[in-house]
Amino acid sequence: MNAILEVKNATRRFGGLVAVDDVSFTVPSKGVTAVIGPNGAGKTTLFNIIAGTFPPSEGAILLGGADVTALKPEAKAARGLVRTFQLVKLFQDLTAIENVKVGFHLKTRGGLFAALVQPAWARNAEKDVEDGAAALLDLVGLSKVAFSPAAVLPYGQQRLLEIARALAARPQILLLDEPAAGLNAEESERLAKTIRRIAADGTAVLLIEHDMKLVMDIADEVVVLDYGRKIAQGSPDAVKKDPAVIAAYLG
Amino acid sequence: MVSEQASPRSRHFASAGIWVLAALIVGYALVFGGYIATIVAFALIYGVFVSGLNIFMGLTAQVSFGQSAFAAIGGYTSAVLTTTYEWAPLPGMLAGIVFALLFALVIGFPTLRLKGHYLAMATLAIGLITYEIAVEWESVTQGYMGISGIPPLGIGPFEAISDRQILATLSVIVVIVAFAVTRIRKSRLGRAFAAVAGSEEAAGALGINVARYKLTSFLLAAGLASIAGSLFVHVVGYVSPEVFGMHMVVLAFTMVYIGGLGTVAGPVIGALIVSLLPELFRGMRDSQDLAYGITLILILIYAPKGLAGLAQSFDARRGK
Amino acid sequence: MDNMHLVLQSLISGISIGCVYGLIGIGFCVIYNASGIVNFAQGAFVMLGGMVTYVLIERFQMPYVVAALGAIVVTGFVGACVERLVVRPLWNRSAPMFVMILATLAAQIVIERLTYILVDDQPKTLPAFSDLPPIMLGGVAINFQSLWIMAGSVLIVVALGLFFKTTRTGKAMRAVSINAEAAALQGIPVSLMLTLAFVLSAMLGALAGILLTPTQYTAFNMGVPFAISGFIAAIIGGFGRPLGAFLGGIALGLIQAMAILGLGAGFKNVAALSLLLLFLFVRPSGLLGSTR
Repeated sequence: MNAILEVKNATRRFGGLVAVDDVSFTVPSKGVTAVIGPNGAGKTTLFNIIAGTFPPSEGAILLGGADVTALKPEAKAARGLVRTFQLVKLFQDLTAIENVKVGFHLKTRGGLFAALVQPAWARNAEKDVEDGAAALLDLVGLSKVAFSPAAVLPYGQQRLLEIARALAARPQILLLDEPAAGLNAEESERLAKTIRRIAADGTAVLLIEHDMKLVMDIADEVVVLDYGRKIAQGSPDAVKKDPAVIAAYLG
Repeated sequence: MVSEQASPRSRHFASAGIWVLAALIVGYALVFGGYIATIVAFALIYGVFVSGLNIFMGLTAQVSFGQSAFAAIGGYTSAVLTTTYEWAPLPGMLAGIVFALLFALVIGFPTLRLKGHYLAMATLAIGLITYEIAVEWESVTQGYMGISGIPPLGIGPFEAISDRQILATLSVIVVIVAFAVTRIRKSRLGRAFAAVAGSEEAAGALGINVARYKLTSFLLAAGLASIAGSLFVHVVGYVSPEVFGMHMVVLAFTMVYIGGLGTVAGPVIGALIVSLLPELFRGMRDSQDLAYGITLILILIYAPKGLAGLAQSFDARRGK
Repeated sequence: MDNMHLVLQSLISGISIGCVYGLIGIGFCVIYNASGIVNFAQGAFVMLGGMVTYVLIERFQMPYVVAALGAIVVTGFVGACVERLVVRPLWNRSAPMFVMILATLAAQIVIERLTYILVDDQPKTLPAFSDLPPIMLGGVAINFQSLWIMAGSVLIVVALGLFFKTTRTGKAMRAVSINAEAAALQGIPVSLMLTLAFVLSAMLGALAGILLTPTQYTAFNMGVPFAISGFIAAIIGGFGRPLGAFLGGIALGLIQAMAILGLGAGFKNVAALSLLLLFLFVRPSGLLGSTR
């Protein structure tokens, strides 16, 4: 299976501290890949390097075979890599469905002319956005709250809404930053189902996660970090039995 | 709180009421003419200016204390071209828009990278520099003396000379502007503005080029400010630097906050109310700016969403 | 007088005006460090310093020194009013920053207009502090008021430094600026410190206005240009550094003096504003780096 994302010898230093140390792995274009590790293992730094918040000190990020190491988040999004945030970043004043409609930005065209004149193609595109947004809200189970402002939704729904919004950009690879953080068991289960559904629909998913149960339930491949280094990689079952991983989590 | 199931259609009751109120005020001025028509005409010009400010501040959540600069460019371009060079008003206004957009483009690139009080101070400085230039560049602007004898608005043989003609022309322009803002708000462009306003980081993650949309929003605001400046000089027939001073900025902010930031009707009703209120207290002519300043502070503290904001939350409650 | 002397004389007057800009800039820093707020009404305090002194002398026949002290007290009170009536209510509602900026700008207009109504719109000036002829230094005439300004400003900066370093109140204010929560835990009344910062900043502004007015004039609408100059001083010095702001003020005064020499007095403000934009665009953290 060909790789959608390739992390090659990524290193990131902050002053004297090496937060990510020579990490390499690939993410296949199908399925769910998870990066796990104890607190302070460098997961968030790695995530930010991949998403383009800041570049690595050394190493490269390849997306669909092309070097995207130095690209900004919006440029990476345009090439099919879309992220969510650990602390959900919704457009608080907009309704749920409006949030998702914003997500269609990359998949639609039109500026001032389309807004003012509203030619037939723009009206059709708008209709498609409307339908697409409704379908995505349905996918994550938020149809009932479509017209509520994002700010009033409970936290679990806000997370699902953020994922729906990211999906609107039709990413080739969806990056989820600790999606289960702050969710209760029921919400977590709902999230796991949604992620499996997304992967089954053909979108590669890379998630950084603290919650082992979620990872073991849904991941096809697991990368384990400790002190900034990759210490193991493999299927959830293989990783679970890996002595280095056990040592890292218990030690 | 907003109800969970209210469909978007059922919400516009009180907001429509605001438009009716605005129409009644303009209608009254049209019927009775005279002094009130003059006041309402100025209010409508401000309505155009504030609608632009509202695109930049309300829709895109940026801040500019220097929009008066673009009004000055539009106003002076119209004034100079229609007097010294005897152009017709419409081409003069278009030239003003072009100059204002060019200036906004040049100044926008470095300015819009700034955030917070740096952005505020930089835009304030741009407004003040423009004012100083209007004062000092006497060969073109005639300094404090100003330029007089500017012809009235008109296209071809038609000229808006009487109060009612002016008012009717301005009303049409305001309706067009409001219609345009409504369409922008509901479009892909408007959603990108809203995304920048909501979270620049999240907008970037969805592939929205934040810098570009900030600039677009800034250009739209500058264009409308320029139109307002041109309209002003044609309606008054005279222009001087004082027109585009700090007074204009504070007045515009009072209007946009009274009306309601981010709404379409807000700038229009805000401009009408703020223009008409001092007329109710004739004795206060001297202390208008004082009243505006105090009103603005009180609104910022006690009703930061303004009239249209109140109407919206009323509609939302009713929709439950 | 030859060119060299003219230049030197301009430079000296530039430095003395720069000292005043520096004081205004420090006023910005005091409030910014205490609260993170940039007080756009700062210029009103400068205007009030000169204006109130003038009114106390002309209408109430007070001696110069008493009038100046009175002006400082009155302006300090106005500073407290701005904090209590405008800033605090917004602060308590955690208003967004630009609402705060807009509100202080509106406060500036209110103070300006009240002055216009209570006094009038005519430019006012004050007599020089001492009725002495200019000092001649190798052919360069130094206006005596310039010496007052320079000496006075340095004295104020030193006194302010001592206040922050040695007094209980000064130390408490510094603690709040470093970490408000920790300061609150130590029993420092944080909200009182914010009021104090406004009072102190207003009094500094008033002092700047009193020093400056004899060399030029003040009028109800002079506040915004003063504020801009002080803001530029603060930016050049790296926002939040009082000493940096003072040096930044002197730099601005010098550059302005050169601009007047080269381009004429009309471009004084344009030069200052362009310098502001240049700094914001190229190096917003100032020459010394910002504190936040």
